[in-house]
Amino acid sequence: MMWKRRRTLVVAASTAAALLLAGCSASDGGGAEGGASGDAVQLSYWLWDSNQQPGYQQCVDAFTVENPNIQVEITQYGWDDYWTTLTTGLVSGGGPDVFISHLNRYPELYTKGQILPIDDIVESGAADLSIYREGLADLWVGQDGKRYGLPKDFDTIAIFADQAMLDDAGITAEQLNSMAWNPDDGGTYEEVIAHLTVDANGVRGDEAGFDKSNVAVYGLGLNSSGGPSGQTEWAQYAFSNGWQHSDTNPWGESFNFGDPEFVETIAWFQSLAAKGYMPTLQIASSGIGQADAYGAGKYAMVTEGSWNTKTYFALDGVTTTIAPVPEGPNGQRASMFNGLADNIAANTKHPEEAKKLVAFLGSKTCEDITAAQGIAFPAVVSSLDISLKAFADQGIDTAAFQVPIDEGSTYLAPVANNWTEITAIMTPAMDAIMSLTADPESLVAANEQVNALFGN
Amino acid sequence: MTHTVAPPSVAARGSRRFAMRRETRAALLFVAPAALGFSVFTLLPAIRGVYYSFTDFDVFQPAKLIGTGNYERLFADAVFWNALKVTLEYVVINIGFQTVFALGVAVLMHRLTQSMLVRGIILAPYLIANVVVALVWFWILDYQIGIGNEFLAWLGVGRQPFFGDQNLAIPTIAMVNVWRHLGYTALLLFAGLQTIPKELYEAAAIDGASEWKMFWRVTMPLLRPVLALVLIVSIIGSFQTFDTVAVTTQGGPVNATRVIYYYIYDLAFNRYDFGYASAMSVALFVLLAGVSLLQLRMTRANQSDLS
Amino acid sequence: MSAKVPGGGMPVTALVPAPAQSSARLPSADVASNDRRRRRQSRLGRAAAWAVMILLMLVTLFPFYWMLRTSLSTNGALAVNSSNLLPAEFSVNGWKRVFGLATPEEALADGGSGASLNFWIYLRNSLVVATVTTVVQTFFSALAAYAFARLRWPGRDAVFFLFLTALMVPPIFTILPNFILIRDLGLLNTYLGIVLPGLLMAPFSVFFLRQFFLGIPRELEEAAKLDGAGYPRVFFRIIVPMSVAPISTLAILTYIGSWNDYFWPLLVGKAENVRVLTVALGVFRSQTPQGSPDWAGLMAATFVSAVPILILFAVLGRRVINSIGFTGLK
Repeated sequence: MMWKRRRTLVVAASTAAALLLAGCSASDGGGAEGGASGDAVQLSYWLWDSNQQPGYQQCVDAFTVENPNIQVEITQYGWDDYWTTLTTGLVSGGGPDVFISHLNRYPELYTKGQILPIDDIVESGAADLSIYREGLADLWVGQDGKRYGLPKDFDTIAIFADQAMLDDAGITAEQLNSMAWNPDDGGTYEEVIAHLTVDANGVRGDEAGFDKSNVAVYGLGLNSSGGPSGQTEWAQYAFSNGWQHSDTNPWGESFNFGDPEFVETIAWFQSLAAKGYMPTLQIASSGIGQADAYGAGKYAMVTEGSWNTKTYFALDGVTTTIAPVPEGPNGQRASMFNGLADNIAANTKHPEEAKKLVAFLGSKTCEDITAAQGIAFPAVVSSLDISLKAFADQGIDTAAFQVPIDEGSTYLAPVANNWTEITAIMTPAMDAIMSLTADPESLVAANEQVNALFGN
Repeated sequence: MTHTVAPPSVAARGSRRFAMRRETRAALLFVAPAALGFSVFTLLPAIRGVYYSFTDFDVFQPAKLIGTGNYERLFADAVFWNALKVTLEYVVINIGFQTVFALGVAVLMHRLTQSMLVRGIILAPYLIANVVVALVWFWILDYQIGIGNEFLAWLGVGRQPFFGDQNLAIPTIAMVNVWRHLGYTALLLFAGLQTIPKELYEAAAIDGASEWKMFWRVTMPLLRPVLALVLIVSIIGSFQTFDTVAVTTQGGPVNATRVIYYYIYDLAFNRYDFGYASAMSVALFVLLAGVSLLQLRMTRANQSDLS
Repeated sequence: MSAKVPGGGMPVTALVPAPAQSSARLPSADVASNDRRRRRQSRLGRAAAWAVMILLMLVTLFPFYWMLRTSLSTNGALAVNSSNLLPAEFSVNGWKRVFGLATPEEALADGGSGASLNFWIYLRNSLVVATVTTVVQTFFSALAAYAFARLRWPGRDAVFFLFLTALMVPPIFTILPNFILIRDLGLLNTYLGIVLPGLLMAPFSVFFLRQFFLGIPRELEEAAKLDGAGYPRVFFRIIVPMSVAPISTLAILTYIGSWNDYFWPLLVGKAENVRVLTVALGVFRSQTPQGSPDWAGLMAATFVSAVPILILFAVLGRRVINSIGFTGLK
């Protein structure tokens, strides 16, 4: 019996050793492999939006047809996970070769030397900057004067409204498309929101006896507090009130979160929640997201980005109408204007191949392909028609997203250093305000903290 | 083992020394792997951790010594003190409810049934990963469509934004973990209860003692050593909660669930601030060392009583 | 809680009055009515106790049922049928997504992520990590525990005390430097990187086994040594067979702990080929568009990742439950 025990132990130990060895050999860094250029090279490409993955898969397939010795593998990590996983990947050397990047994040990456400049792609003629929409390409030039990405797409903000609820409330298309707001009483915008809000007893928000503690349908939904950016939440109102995030953009170092124009905008935004027309942050962030809540009939309208259009139109049982953002005190129907690009990781083992991929991804060919998916608007101007047709084929009229562009009231997304630090300050501050546990005046103190990051 | 007092003869001393050397050699062989593991993965990192806490280290570039800058920043950091407060709140709620409930369940099992099935069912949540438990409860307590809130609405209590409200978030997370650990703790206490001789209960019953009185006069005093052990071990574990927060609230809303562990992770992997994160880990270590010293003091006292 | 606690050594009779004194003779009628009252009380009490017990088991089991119910629904119907106890629009698509059987288009249409979830790979990874950790760690910890318990060597007590302090060190303190170390060794995203820190020993395992070894009677060892057996032979032929119970207890607990570990594998093993189930769940949760989770798929995934341990539990049930008792009473 004792022999058996000893033998089982030995067997167990050797199994373990075998497993270990097997494990070691079976795993690899996940990064690029391959020998000298000319042999097959495998590139790793990361993105966060799973909606866009099929389009990019087609793109890289087309790329491989043109470059048979370069294989591209796409990996998707959700937004919540994306940046921490990327950090680990960059730190370990097992990260991507190319990855979709964001204006808020790339400054930190290039100041830490984690991404490669791509000026040589432009200089060699592999990329032509003139095909892009004006203003997008330069957003990706760092303060050091080097270019780090080619624009892929652009997006603006508009309002998604539940057509059935609009009809019930008797709100006409003309009303919807000509809303105006101001920070004092909310204007016709707030009137529409109030009228669309219905409490559990069927009383509307602008009728007597409205019970704001028992709301069945909110006139306006809430996604999050918006943090420092407020891209889909409140930026459009603030811009049309004559405010911008910082003194200059990009590379602002003096922020304006304490300015009266901003404080009164947020005060009005908070008042919507206080009046029961919009959920407080607790309610909005306690489980399902804005799109699902809208689909379940809890929200009548939401302000959303164009990249989410397909998600909303895919909801069962809801017919959605897109309306432009309301006109603000300065007469503008303003919207934040943002665009993504691909960055190359500095520790890639195949910089030349990676640059080829980036050039292709930023080319008209690829952007035509992704535009045909009908998810995002391409940065290449001549590809826009394809995307509009793709949307139209799905029965989606995206004219409302074009309004700020046509009227010249787009404002670039903020690009600045120390963005994660700014987020760490502004998100709790905005969270507190939208939870109705802090006054908008608290923004003044938060702004001082933000400016202190830049030595102001 | 006693040592002889009288000096042994030369030959005897030689053989004993040989025996001792053989013993020592065997011992060193036996201990070597564990000692290696300890030095490389516990001792060395601890020393390195202390070193990093005095540096500015963003992981991509080499660390730069900055003296006590991180610690000064720590003392002035409102979010850190908030994290301590949040963690303490969590520990108190979690351990408080868990211990009381577990005690109740253990006594219930002891008096009612020895069934393996019951014990198995009660233990089941413990076998599931924290992450899984967190996700399931996140779904059940969803404000709009979670069955938990539907039930509350049906009861007339009204829906609660469990994970979204600053005041409710940490208690919710604490109770979710109570659900998970209740079975394990109850079984531990149950095992302790089984060492109490039945005769004591019978004697007390003959005297007309009620269940309540039997509990306080017989059960509690004899259970105290096990209870103490369970408490201390649970507390240490409770201080280090991370999984649930990471998967549900990510430190929000408004830092209401930013427990220390999560804050350290956020600093290191989101904000690239390894130096500061290390300083905070040192602070946590000091705190836990204090609690652990309490543990050592108590288990040593118990050992002398039991043996 | 004071440091001085009345331990089990305290004489019990001090707490409960000696039976002999109070079994005074009562009139028989009173005895009968007393009995009846006590029986009624105890029956009510028992009923109440059982009610509480059943309630407890319901609360314990309901989330498992809810996992199942949600996984067998479609995402779209979930929002509408939130209070229905049965699956909302029965469908196995969630399970298909988890096992990677659904095409990306199907997945996206149902509200899931287009990315595939390679359940079998994650399961394999969890198995490898948990098994290797358990086997190797328990083995080396047992060796060390024996050295501390039975062998005499210079510095033994000092080293043991040092090991004990490792019990006090919170994992976070060593995790960050260990991450850097694993990175510098080039072991990020490998199995070795994931298991290495805990591979060679765990302070609790050493401590636990040492306590047990201390309690083994010495005569058998003495006899073997007189027969000329060396220490390794004594260990493998005598100590280990006698310690099957605590060793397997420890192995089970280590296995469960390793299977459910999240933080360390999250840092070190995010790449698909080494991702364990817990990390995969976290990734899956945040993978769907715009942060609105694919609940049906997610619940199917959570159920699936819990099943292996539940199976282990069903098979080894008695031992697991009894092993909990062991850890409580050193």
